[in-house]
Amino acid sequence: MSTQAGTGAITATAPLRGTPGLGARILRRIRGIARRSPTLAVGAAILLAFAAMALFHPWLMPRDPIAANPTLTLQPPSVEFWFGTDQNGMDVFSRVIYGAIYGFGIAIPAVMVGLSVGVPVGLYTGYRGGMIDEVVMRVFDSFRVFPSIILALAVVSAAGPSLLNVVMVIGLLDSPIFARVVRAEVLALRNGTYVEAAVAAGNPTRRILFVHLLPNAIQGAMAQTAVRAAWAVRISATLAFLGIGIQPPTPEWGAMIRQGAEFMVSGEWWVAVFPGIALILMTLGLNMLGDGLQDLLDPRRKAATR
Amino acid sequence: MSVGRFLVRRLLLVLPLLLGVLFFTFMLVRLSGQDPTAKIAGPTATAAEIELVRAQLGLDQPLFTQFLIYLGRVVQADLGRSWVSQQPVLQDVLERVPVTLELLLWGVGIGALVGIPVGLRAAFRPDGAFDQISRFVSLLGFSTPTYWLGLVMLLVFFYLLDLAPPGMGRLSLMLSPPPRITGSYLIDGVIAGDLEAAHSAFAQLVLPVLCIAIISAAPIIKQTRAITLEVLASDYIRYARAQGLEPAMIRRMALRNAATPVVTFLGTELTGLVGTTALIEYVFAWGGLGQWGLNAIITGDFAAVQGYVLALALFSVIVFLLVDLAVLLLEPRAGTRA
Amino acid sequence: MATPLLDVRDLHTHFIARNLDNEIRTARALNGVSFSLDGGKILGLVGETGAGKSLTALSVMGLLRPPARVVAGQVLFEGRDLIAMPPEEVNRLRGARMAMVVQSPKSSLDPLSRIGEQLVRVQRAHDPALGQAEATARAVAMLEAVGIPDPQRRARAWPHELSGGMAQRVLIALALVNQPRLLIADEPTTGLDVTVQAQILDLFRELVLANGIGAIIITHDLGVVAHYCDDVAVMFAGTIIEHGPVAAVFGQPAHPYTRALIASTPERLVIGRTRTTGAPPPNLYALPTGCLYRDRCPHAAPDCAEPPPGRAMGAGHIAHCHFAGRLAEHAA
Repeated sequence: MSTQAGTGAITATAPLRGTPGLGARILRRIRGIARRSPTLAVGAAILLAFAAMALFHPWLMPRDPIAANPTLTLQPPSVEFWFGTDQNGMDVFSRVIYGAIYGFGIAIPAVMVGLSVGVPVGLYTGYRGGMIDEVVMRVFDSFRVFPSIILALAVVSAAGPSLLNVVMVIGLLDSPIFARVVRAEVLALRNGTYVEAAVAAGNPTRRILFVHLLPNAIQGAMAQTAVRAAWAVRISATLAFLGIGIQPPTPEWGAMIRQGAEFMVSGEWWVAVFPGIALILMTLGLNMLGDGLQDLLDPRRKAATR
Repeated sequence: MSVGRFLVRRLLLVLPLLLGVLFFTFMLVRLSGQDPTAKIAGPTATAAEIELVRAQLGLDQPLFTQFLIYLGRVVQADLGRSWVSQQPVLQDVLERVPVTLELLLWGVGIGALVGIPVGLRAAFRPDGAFDQISRFVSLLGFSTPTYWLGLVMLLVFFYLLDLAPPGMGRLSLMLSPPPRITGSYLIDGVIAGDLEAAHSAFAQLVLPVLCIAIISAAPIIKQTRAITLEVLASDYIRYARAQGLEPAMIRRMALRNAATPVVTFLGTELTGLVGTTALIEYVFAWGGLGQWGLNAIITGDFAAVQGYVLALALFSVIVFLLVDLAVLLLEPRAGTRA
Repeated sequence: MATPLLDVRDLHTHFIARNLDNEIRTARALNGVSFSLDGGKILGLVGETGAGKSLTALSVMGLLRPPARVVAGQVLFEGRDLIAMPPEEVNRLRGARMAMVVQSPKSSLDPLSRIGEQLVRVQRAHDPALGQAEATARAVAMLEAVGIPDPQRRARAWPHELSGGMAQRVLIALALVNQPRLLIADEPTTGLDVTVQAQILDLFRELVLANGIGAIIITHDLGVVAHYCDDVAVMFAGTIIEHGPVAAVFGQPAHPYTRALIASTPERLVIGRTRTTGAPPPNLYALPTGCLYRDRCPHAAPDCAEPPPGRAMGAGHIAHCHFAGRLAEHAA
């Protein structure tokens, strides 16, 4: 990378002109971000919709998502059952709405597990370097020989397919990704004068890591969270589809697709298609958010105008 | 550096990796905390019989000894026996490898054939309409569950349009497979002159291959674009502009320089797509290694799971080695860098 | 009066972008750069990081990428305005009539082509009629001219096999092989050993003078200017605040900034990568009117709120300061 000597001072930020109201400023910032990265804006909008579904599900669901009705099984979509009913006579629309809870309920804690394991490891190995760093990175590397989906499946099924295990395994499999990002930033930061000053001032290692390095090194990891959450949603649904972990008739999207799989070739497509679309939209929202975030944080694109 | 010496060095580096992988597969079974003996001995076994099986399996030994026993077996190509099929795991695996490879290679091949040009074109006009659309399509591909895509394909092309055969294996149930040469019914059918079988094998291949191609194209588009953008921002491309070279020539230069990282990426992608292929096999009842492995995971067939995971790791190691070799041929620098 | 080889007139280059609050923000990176250059002369362009030296070179060569663009001014090269010229036409001049040497020679060479091929490529790009054999012969001759031993063999070398100094010689060969009239070297010796730096610059000066080329050296190193340049232009915040013959400017610096530069870099006359004197440079998004240096200037006075005029200090020596020529009494 070469620095253009002539552009060094351009990135300096100037104070805002004028002082419009806070609401107007927030609105303006949102419009600015949406213009810079429409991807991010659309992703955020999709996610907000799903968050609303999860939060307000009691009012949004027309029926109990697990109330079976043997007289109304496999009803096609209609005014009464917007997304039809499944083989138990349960309302697919209500079940799709309820499924958002599982999406967030797995993705958020899984990413937290990944962060809380990966970030300290990345901080420590990046700061310490040497043997520990070498060994940890080699171990991380070696996990690349397994396809991540298979790895997650095998470990979850071995550890016992409880919801907690699903969350833990997804989080742990994510942690090397967070660790790598943080480590790379720490490597770039650790020889900075302010770290040297902190060491010279006699700060303990733990304090240097978490007070001095963490705030500067965490940005890259945060930019990854949305994409990792998308992965968590995807993997947990895959597990449920294969019948590992969450079982039908739990209103989880992967489990619902499993229920509807056999009807795809006999014409009752709505049982599996609607939860699949919900799953796609939620992962798409997270992926778009993540993509947009990385775009926004990429210094090469920072100044681009359109 | 000669290719031979390069290979020897790489293989030496692979050994500790394989040891780690074996330790992982070994621990995977311990992790389950379940005792495989009961399943192996059968439901009617007495306590004494179970003890006997435990002793046979070495499960009464300390953990480290057990690992050594496991290692010893693996080195002698004994991966144990599946309690589902009652066959040696190694035999099960070897039978199914070509079945899966056929699907995987066609799928990724088509995915790359589409994805690489799309990614390149997007990178040459970043933020243009083509770039925006291809980025969205790529994100959509990232977000689509493999198995759901397979189901929708069956719904549309089998149930609604009746263009494709049902997703039940690799050959129409009415036909008998051609004599085995490569393990691919399509190629074997052509070789044997059994065009009916070849045609049926082809028809069965279309939908699953299409699914894998779609799913694999998404990351290929994204990475090809990112790699090419990075090359285009490099000092040598900037200097090429300063030299007044024509845009077409600069483009060629960028393409050549993007080739190595794209090939490297395809290698890692290939190993990751084994998982995607497994799910597609599961939906289309393909009967390859992937479906077999997933079933082993679902049913808790530990010897088979170990064998499956080990086979995947070996596959990755071989792919990485091939990629390194390709890079060695592509890059004048690689010889000194390795 | 004969037309100068290069005549830059009141060049303004801005970075125009939207910020996260959706406001259009303009960084005024070059604010009226004017200078001229004759064949056979070497001009040194000095100033601290961010003063706009490289940006001046990129603006002249037509190599700006968005969001940077020239918003006003002329770049007259052999009498023709490059700013008004269609980009394809400028592209034909680049690498042929005007050439550039950059500061990261190793990463600026195409890693997948032998250096001989790269020399042939740049010749044939500008002269499609040129035969392969002749181009190769000229490539080898050029490598020899830039002091590369065993040029026949070295033409077959890959860029990664070259040392930094060798790579810089190759870059000079690439720049000169089409016999340009104008040569811009942007920090050509950054990152090279001191002894190699001197060799490269000696070679550079020798080749430039022998061929009657007009050259610009962009550098942090006032010593380089003193040794190798005929004229010097000192840049600050996107303007040239003082220029003239090296002996005059260094002997009787008239602008307080030039004085600060020379005073603060006594030993090797290298301007630090960090700011030379205390205060940060002016904010390019909100430039004050009047003298841009006044916030840092020890002599600032109410007059400085007005744009400083160019004051002639001697033959070709001009300083843009209200007090130029009147500061001698309270010299630093």
